[in-house]
Order: sequence, then structure tokens, then C-alpha cells
Amino acid sequence: MKYIKYLLLLSFLVAADADDMIVIKNGNVFVDGEGFVKKDILVDEGKILLVEDMIGNVGASTIINAQGKYVMPGLIVFSQLGLLEIGALSETNDSSSDIYNAGFDPTSAYNPFSQAVRLNRSKGVTSTVHVPGASGYFRGLLGFTKINDGYKQKKQGPLGLVTRYGQSRNDSRAAELMFMEDLFALTRGRADEKKGYESDNIQFFFGTNNEYKFTKRDFDAISKVLNKEIPLVVEVNKATDILNVIKFGQTQNIDLVLWGAHEAHMVADEIARAGISVVLDPLDNIPGSFDSLNATYENVTRLDDAGVEMAFYYSQGAGSHNAYLAHQSAGNAVAMGLDYNEAIRAITSNPASIFGLVDVGSVAPGYDADLAIWDGDPLELMSNVETVLIDGKVEDLSNRYEELTKRYTEDRDKPNSYRSR
Amino acid sequence: MIRKSILILLAIFLFGCTEQSGIFTPEPEGSITKFSDDTHGTYASTYEPLPSEETVIRNATVFDGNGNKFQNYDVHFANGEIKEVGRDLIVGDIKEIDGTGKFVTPGIIDNHSHMGVYPAPGVRTSSDGNEATSPVTAEVWAEHSVWVQDPQYKLALAGGITTFHVLPGSANLFGGRGVTLKNISANTVPEMKFPGAPHSLKMACGENPKRVYSSRGPSTRMGNVAGYRKAWIGAENHRERLERDPSHRDLQNETLVGVLDGEILVHNHCYRADEMATMINIGEEFGYKVSTFHHGVEAYKVADLLADEGVCAALWADWWGFKHEAYDMTIANIAIVDQARDGTGCAIVHSDSASGIQRLNQEAAKALAAGRKAGFDISEGRAMTWITKNPAKSLGILDQTGTLEQGKDADIVIWSGNPFSIYSKAEKVFIDGALAFDKATNFMPHTDFDIGVKEWEDK
Repeated sequence: MKYIKYLLLLSFLVAADADDMIVIKNGNVFVDGEGFVKKDILVDEGKILLVEDMIGNVGASTIINAQGKYVMPGLIVFSQLGLLEIGALSETNDSSSDIYNAGFDPTSAYNPFSQAVRLNRSKGVTSTVHVPGASGYFRGLLGFTKINDGYKQKKQGPLGLVTRYGQSRNDSRAAELMFMEDLFALTRGRADEKKGYESDNIQFFFGTNNEYKFTKRDFDAISKVLNKEIPLVVEVNKATDILNVIKFGQTQNIDLVLWGAHEAHMVADEIARAGISVVLDPLDNIPGSFDSLNATYENVTRLDDAGVEMAFYYSQGAGSHNAYLAHQSAGNAVAMGLDYNEAIRAITSNPASIFGLVDVGSVAPGYDADLAIWDGDPLELMSNVETVLIDGKVEDLSNRYEELTKRYTEDRDKPNSYRSR
Repeated sequence: MIRKSILILLAIFLFGCTEQSGIFTPEPEGSITKFSDDTHGTYASTYEPLPSEETVIRNATVFDGNGNKFQNYDVHFANGEIKEVGRDLIVGDIKEIDGTGKFVTPGIIDNHSHMGVYPAPGVRTSSDGNEATSPVTAEVWAEHSVWVQDPQYKLALAGGITTFHVLPGSANLFGGRGVTLKNISANTVPEMKFPGAPHSLKMACGENPKRVYSSRGPSTRMGNVAGYRKAWIGAENHRERLERDPSHRDLQNETLVGVLDGEILVHNHCYRADEMATMINIGEEFGYKVSTFHHGVEAYKVADLLADEGVCAALWADWWGFKHEAYDMTIANIAIVDQARDGTGCAIVHSDSASGIQRLNQEAAKALAAGRKAGFDISEGRAMTWITKNPAKSLGILDQTGTLEQGKDADIVIWSGNPFSIYSKAEKVFIDGALAFDKATNFMPHTDFDIGVKEWEDK
């Protein structure tokens, strides 16, 4: 196999011009199933071509010496990066919708020049899963965007339909389940009766004050769940609620992903048996609601022991603006006893596998060259990101925070308005 | 996660503000004003330390909280006090803890917490942090809202927190008095109160008051400033009246006069640099000093001014972007404040969060890394002062805690490794020499709330 690859490489080198190839040499490279191992990486046309012990310079235009460094997949974060500039200013917030709910996909609103995007890129993030926040019954659809500089980004999706279950709704948990059953039955019925489905743009209203509105676009999104094109992603914390959600998923024959899941550790075996993945923040250990009375740092280790696949986000402090701190969540998970490599996967390859993302999240031939090179252990808070590649391009890591820092630490003999910008 | 972000934002809007006022002049250490319990009156501390045992920790790496890091050091404490810190200490036949490979620090201090006043679970019925009924509520005391059964205290204790300061929220220009607590679970608030710690007065700049009171005023930043000045003029009038009529009571003005008399420390939630400068001017106009600006996302822009005025800045390592006044962030903020005027700045890492308070050491690590990246030569020992000595100074309790020095309270944390590493955990926490938390044996306090509610217990 290896030798076939070299043959391919050889023919490639003969045929193609190697000008835009990049070789990353001598780094500790995170390889799935092995952890950090000494490898070289050959990148061409945005893709990882080879990950091998010794790759020569092969005429590459760029040689990056990663001796003593740590090379890992860029972080895939769950966030409103690029959708939200300043939290309290609704005019800068494109992560929510009042018009649509299930059908709301915020991806097209993504702003690649957001200062939060620049910061997160400089901290080793290479892509974001857009987390929607529609105000209606459903939150909306998860999208996916690379966070490279410039106007063009590769996107994938929709990846899932987000909803919530438990005390976050006003009605009884029992009534919420009934409503979901009725809504799904209605959606199936509409899909069967092609005529009505095609022609109408009627809005359906539900709820005691007609607060829940569904348009054709919303029903289409629900249909994607019913057809198993995408999972239903349920924000749920209470153990008994999680069991209800699992049962609902089985009855409806749909795919599920659990989100938040503070008490998931209490029903870890049931989650594992149902083959359901969980997206969570390992730092959520506060009994912050009556749905989370059993929140604990041990959530991740117990889920891992049961064999549940997990992806991590960071939801403390400034949240989305510091989505890169998923590496802090992952590091703490290790401190709590989670296997180190599993913690790295939870912020790289697991988000990809849970949501069916193609060619991202791993350092392996054929994958997009979305890489971060760290000067130390990527889970340590005092390590720094030195180089980031997205689709094989070395990214600009400048960011407003370091520019402001310079302004107030350099050229201090000048008035501050006339210092560097 | 979305809902969570909204909650976090709400939390920040509602109570994300700290103030600190400065009784502190940039005087040399040890000369900090000694406070009496006078302003506490009948509400004074009734705290009693837990039973303790004379102990020596042997051969550890010791951060003394004064900026130093010592290898192979011993720490000896007895009767709740630190006896000696040094190498190969000679002690009697007392309890010994092998500190080989371990790190020892002073108890970690958070000078901005809302535990107790915004307890868990976060429900309306115990949301007691913001008396958002009037822009001036200097008369309310956070200690009269604190719920002693908040299950969050022990989570903070597991992160090495031995002392924390509970502030009212930031909806108001004057939010009320804050209180410093020992991280000891008790059935009444006075039993948790740090003996001799001065009260604080929470003030708030900027977006919060003008948003909360936009319909009745203040609705602008200039309206905010007029509101502060009017209140201080009222306090001056009250003080004059007291000369004629010493028995006259006025709860609101008693707090404000306490500040003017130097007995209550101003802790001032203030994000923007220009507003911090204005608040310093107001202090000059009425004759008080701000002890500490809290949240100061732009503190780095006036770092020299803060150092010159002897005002501390209690900051997050990296929170930003949740509102406009938190937009100009730099993760080097804490380091720049610390290093101002040849390293005479007073920088503090605070949490304002029941989650962040559990990992103040990690927050300090991020701030230290950013400072070094910005070109500052800052030692780990120096960064340790951001979560020990400096918050103690800010709260007026540095003569009792915050550093490992002879005669001070034996508030001590033993860490499994370097506290600036993400993999290190607090293993043992001593408060006044008494073991309050022991990871190895899962020894920790449990509030009544924890009893029976849990269907599942921590291993």
C-alpha cells in the first residue's frame, strides 16, 4: 500500500509541478489510532497527500520545519463564529431567526472577516459548525464552514436539525412529546400527499398562543430527519428526559445526537446501546437547573467507559467568541481521567464522524489539509499556535487582539492614535 | 449551547460588574489600612475555624504568593497560622505531608463572585443578586441575599478557593455592599464571613445601568456620571447632618459615608478605559479612591494611570465580545496592567462565574502565556500573585491571607503538579490550617441542598 502511494507520488512529481506543494517535516503528528508520532506530511492542492516517516523535500515550494512541534488537525468547533460579532447588539447577530425555525440555516450569513473568526483561526481553529438559534420551536439547521481568510469558504451541510427537550419549554414534558409525535406524523402525511405539499405555502400555527409557526421550508427540514438524511440534535440534560428522547427516536426511526447532556452519565449504557453520540462541554459540572442536578465532572469519563462517542464544545465564559477554548475543555477532560487521544479526537475527528463531515478532522491522506502546528502540547493553556493551514494554504494569523496589544506596548512615545494599526 | 450562551449573556448583563474602590494608595506592603468590624455592626463575623492539626508539608515546590517560587521547601502551620516557610524546617513530632512532586500555593482568592446570591440551581426564586429597582441601592447588603446552601461553594473549593468576595450585581450605579467569605459551609452567613474584612461598595459604569434604567434614567453615560455625583453630594450632606444629629439613620448614605470615611472599599464594574479615568476623577472630587476596577476589558489602555493611582484591576483572561464595551479585548490585558510602571501595577484574575472560579489557576495560565507572547518577562511566581496576594490586597485582607508568610492564616493549597498546567488538580485545601477538602478521600463539605436531591453521588 505504502509503495503504491510512493509510485503515485513519483508519477505525480514527474507529471505535475511541485511549486505549490508543502512539506511539514519532523513534527509530532496526531495520527488517528496512534496519537502523536513523528511523521512528515506532504500537502498538495489543498489535500494531505502523504503522512509518512521520511518525506524528502520533493521540490516543494514550502518546507515547514516542525521539529519539536505538535501538528494536529485544526479544531472543529461548535459556535456562532462569523454569525455574531457583539452579543448584546442584535444588529450584529445573524445566528437567529424569528421567521423560520426548523428550516433556518444560518450558513449563508457567515462573515469571514469577523474579529472572532480571526482570533479563533489564530488559536488553531480551522472550521466551525454553525449552531443556529431560531426563536421558534426548533433552533434550526447545523451548518459547516471553513474559517480561512478571504471571501470563499468551503461549506458542508445541513448536518442536523436542532431542538430541545425538558424544562427549557413551558409546557409539560409529556405534552412536548405528544406535540413532537403529532408534528412528525403531520410532516409524514404532508410528504405522502404530494399535492398539498408541493403547492401550499400556508403557515401552520400551533401552541396556546399560536406561538409556533411552521412554513413549507420548516416541514422540508423535518422531512430530512424523517428520511434519515440528517440527525435530530436534541439539547437535553435530565437523565429521564434523555431516556424519553431515545425512545422517541426509536419509535420514529430517526437518527439522534444528544447535546449538552449534563446527566447523560446516569444513562450512559442506554445511550451507548442506542448508538447515539453526545456533544457536550466537559466543564459543565454545576447543578445549574433542576434538569442538571447530577451534573458532574465525571460525565465524560463515564460516557467514555460506556463506549459513547463524544464531541466537545466550550460553553463557559465568553462562549462562541472563544470557541477555540474547546481545547481547554478537552484538557480538563484528560485531567478528569479521559484518555488523551480520545480528548483530541473529541475536538477534531469526532465532530466530523458524528455529523458526517467529509474529508475533515484527521491528518491522513485524502483529507483536507486543515492543520494547526503548536509549539507544545495542544491541550496545555500555555502552548501557542504557530502555523495554521486551511485547505493547504498557510493562513494569516494576525488578529485584532494582538494588534491592540502592540498598540499599547510599542511606539509608546507617540500618541496612541498615531501608533501602529 | 445556544440557550446556555444566552443565559451567560444575561448573567453578564445582569450582574457582570465589579467595582472596587480604593482605600489603597500605592503604599508599601504591610501598611495597608487595618479595618475594624465597625461597619458590620451587629452583622459582624462569627466565623470559627474548623479543628486543625499542626502540620508540616515537606519538600514541595512552593509559590509564596509574594512573587517567589521555591524548590524543595517546607511549609509549617499550627493553630490556624503559618509558622514558617523554608527549607528543612525543624519541627516537633507533628503531622507530616510529603510534598515531593507537589506544588503548594496560598489559598486562591476570587474577588468577584456571585455564589450565594445567584446560587445553583439558577431559578427565579433564589435569584437575589441585583436589586434592580432603583439606580442607587447603596443600602442593600449582598450578605443578606447569600444562600448558605448553595452547592457551588464546594466546587470552588475543589479548585483551591479559600476566600471569595460576593458582590451585588451591576444593574445599578450603586449596587450595594459586597461581603468577603471564607469558603466554609455554615448554616448562617456571619459564620462564613471573613473576620475583619471590610465591606465593599459595588458600583457600575457603562452599558448596564443605562440599559436597565433607560426609560426612567440614567439612559446615557453622562446620566450615569451625574447619578454618581448626586449620590456622593447626598452622602456629604448626610455626613454634615451627622455632626448635628449623630443618631440619624440613613441606610443608603451610611454605606456611602463608609466609603468617604475609608472603611468601605469601592469595587467598580467598569469596562472602558475612558470611563475608568472618569471614575477616578469622581473619586478625587469627593475624596475617596477606587480600590479595584472589575471586568476592565480595556484596563490595558490606562495601565499607567491605574498603577499611578494605586488602583487594582480585576480582569478575565479572555472574556470579550458579549457587549460593545467588551469588544477591545486583548488576552495580554492582565500582563500589561501587571507590568505597568516598572511592574507596580496590581492585576487580578477574577471569575464573575461559578464555573470560572473553579479554575482561576487555568485563567492565570492563559493570561501569563499571552503576556509572555506580548514580550513581557513574567515569572510563574509573579502570575501567582494575580490570584492570591493581589485579590487579598484588593479586598483589604492582605494582612491576614493571600501569601504564605509567618503569622498569616494557614490558607493553603497542595496541587498535584504545577498549577499552571491544565492537568494539575488541587489535592488538599486547608482553611485556617484545617483540612477542608481532600481529593484522595473525597473529603469535602456537602450543603443541605446536596442531601437526598442527588440520585447519584460523586465517586
